[in-house]
Amino acid sequence: MKHLFSTASLLAVLMATTAQAESICSSDLRVLAQPRDGLTLLEDYVDEFEELSGAGFEIDYLNENDRRAKSQADASTVGSYNVYYVDEANLPLFASSGWIVPLDGYYPAEYDYEDFDAGMRSVASYDGKQWFAPIQGGGDLMVYRTDLLTAAGLEPPKTWEEYVAAIRKLHDPDNGVYGVALRGQRGSGANVWRWLPLFAANGGKWTDETGAFAFNSDAAVKATEEYLELFKYSAPGTQTGSFDESTGAFRSGKVAMIVESAPLGAMSKDPSQSRVVDVVGFAPPPTPLPGSGYAHGFAIAAKANPEEQDKACAGLFVAWATSKEQEARRLAKGQPGELTRKSTYESPEYVKTFGENLSVAMAETGARTEVLFWQDPRWQELGNTWGIMLEELITGSRTDVKATLNELETFAKSL
Amino acid sequence: MRVGRSLPYVFLGPALLVLVILAAVPTLYAVNLSLQNRTLSAPQAEYVWLANYLKLFSDDRFLNALWVSLKWEVLTVSATMAVGIGLAIAMFEAATRRWRMILSVLFIIPVLLPRVCAAFVWKFSFHPLYGAVTWPVRALTGQTPDVLAHPWGAMLTVAFVDVWQWGLFFAVIILKLMEALPPQPIEAARIDKAKGWEIHRFVTLPMLKLPLISLLLVKAIESLRSFDLVYVMTRGGPGVSTETLDMYAYSQGFIEAGNISYASSMAVIMMVLTVILFTSIWKRLNK
Repeated sequence: MKHLFSTASLLAVLMATTAQAESICSSDLRVLAQPRDGLTLLEDYVDEFEELSGAGFEIDYLNENDRRAKSQADASTVGSYNVYYVDEANLPLFASSGWIVPLDGYYPAEYDYEDFDAGMRSVASYDGKQWFAPIQGGGDLMVYRTDLLTAAGLEPPKTWEEYVAAIRKLHDPDNGVYGVALRGQRGSGANVWRWLPLFAANGGKWTDETGAFAFNSDAAVKATEEYLELFKYSAPGTQTGSFDESTGAFRSGKVAMIVESAPLGAMSKDPSQSRVVDVVGFAPPPTPLPGSGYAHGFAIAAKANPEEQDKACAGLFVAWATSKEQEARRLAKGQPGELTRKSTYESPEYVKTFGENLSVAMAETGARTEVLFWQDPRWQELGNTWGIMLEELITGSRTDVKATLNELETFAKSL
Repeated sequence: MRVGRSLPYVFLGPALLVLVILAAVPTLYAVNLSLQNRTLSAPQAEYVWLANYLKLFSDDRFLNALWVSLKWEVLTVSATMAVGIGLAIAMFEAATRRWRMILSVLFIIPVLLPRVCAAFVWKFSFHPLYGAVTWPVRALTGQTPDVLAHPWGAMLTVAFVDVWQWGLFFAVIILKLMEALPPQPIEAARIDKAKGWEIHRFVTLPMLKLPLISLLLVKAIESLRSFDLVYVMTRGGPGVSTETLDMYAYSQGFIEAGNISYASSMAVIMMVLTVILFTSIWKRLNK
């Protein structure tokens, strides 16, 4: 009955929105986010949102770690923000703690949520519900040097075995070319992130059907050994580096092939960021590697939006800020790292800017993208501890993979 | 008479009040927090009294952080003092007044740089593929040394940046202190045909004992707050080889688990250790 009443109230609000859109918001929205070019651009259109909703918005920016800490502290205490910027790592905590509400019912249908990249939508889901609208994110892409592959008489690899063989063949440090660039820096979003696809490809699972930890398995040992083996061909500086270091090595022309988060695709076609613009090709990751899905986006806060109309107002902002129109503006401004919609990847403007090869690869990789980390509030602690251990294995402070996984399991059970 | 006796309190009162607000309130808050089980994800908390402190001593990562902090202190404080004294003596002996001025200005610049900027600049300079510092090795041997990927290499590199900032600054301070010394004892030593190093070993440095102890303590306290340098250059890695106490406390409080009570207990331990250690060092050296 209560649910029926809520739905009826919401319908009434939405109908009112159609009839008299400007009345949906009663006061300016407060948004907590981390700096993004697309959000700076969004602020230029605050008048447009005011006309649409009847109120403006104000965005407070904090860098990633501070944004996570501040939003957790705010959401768990005073709840002063109407919209939170959440990401794959803290979504389980925010959703399970009731700090945000699902988008269903508050995200207006005309903004076409299903148009978001399939991988990002899967990352934005938890417990069977959608919780945020993506601002950036994606899965993985294999990005390779067409000139080096052609010179070596190689086709772009399609399987993991072909990928490893090609890396070995193209690895030529004497001439300043390294086979691959990986991530060695500790962190659930750094080295662990690049290890996750190998773990999944080998059949690894974080927990079993009963919820007990199951990661300490042959799959984890094999994945780790394969990752460590590949590091023999990884560019110097990546042993303690993350996305910036590995993609920087590729974009400066020092690396033959790389599997990295999808924004690298457009970055490597941008002459201001890349020295390999004309000799770069794209494909989905070699099978059986899945894409390691990640996404950042806007979610509706629970505490600061106690009434249905407040939630609808925040939902309208979330939808408007991530709409096709905003995305077209970001594409026109040359902000390739913040494109999230399938319709954008397939649009003539995108093909014209980045080429058909990237457009096709982006569309194909979405279907291969999965949530590979453990979707649980304790993931940060477990993932970061594994990141420290993995970095020690990479840099040689540890050598016994199985003993390390045993130690991680003991730690996991203490959480 | 009454007015005379209370006048000092009138002057001291506002300053003491500001000090109490700025120092005592956050300290008491941290102590209170450390006795609870508060996390960022759950605002409701209970008092667990000393449980966080007991847990610390069975936490291998905390014990490692203590050891790393101790190594960091010894390394950076001794190297900073050695560089500061060495450069100051070299300038005092070999440089003209004009050159001393020029070098003093140059040596002050590093410490004026924000630590985060210095850390980024040096991190890039030590990059095995693009770094300016590693360029000669690349050019001569074709090797790409990755010093930040080795536990001791990382520790020494981060310490180098710290000493680059503070050692040069201390050199200027010590030089100015030497210039302010009365010239008669030094001239007397020269007349007695004392060698250059003997003059400094037995005359100038003993005369500067108290200010040098003060500088040493300032540097020791400053070295405890190495978080920004470590965070930017190594994030505590490789593994936990450069994870100092403040870096571990921040990781526990904000990066990994949101265990702010546990992180506070580390901060309190750090504060207590600092007070005990520095008070005893001060008393010992000041005898």
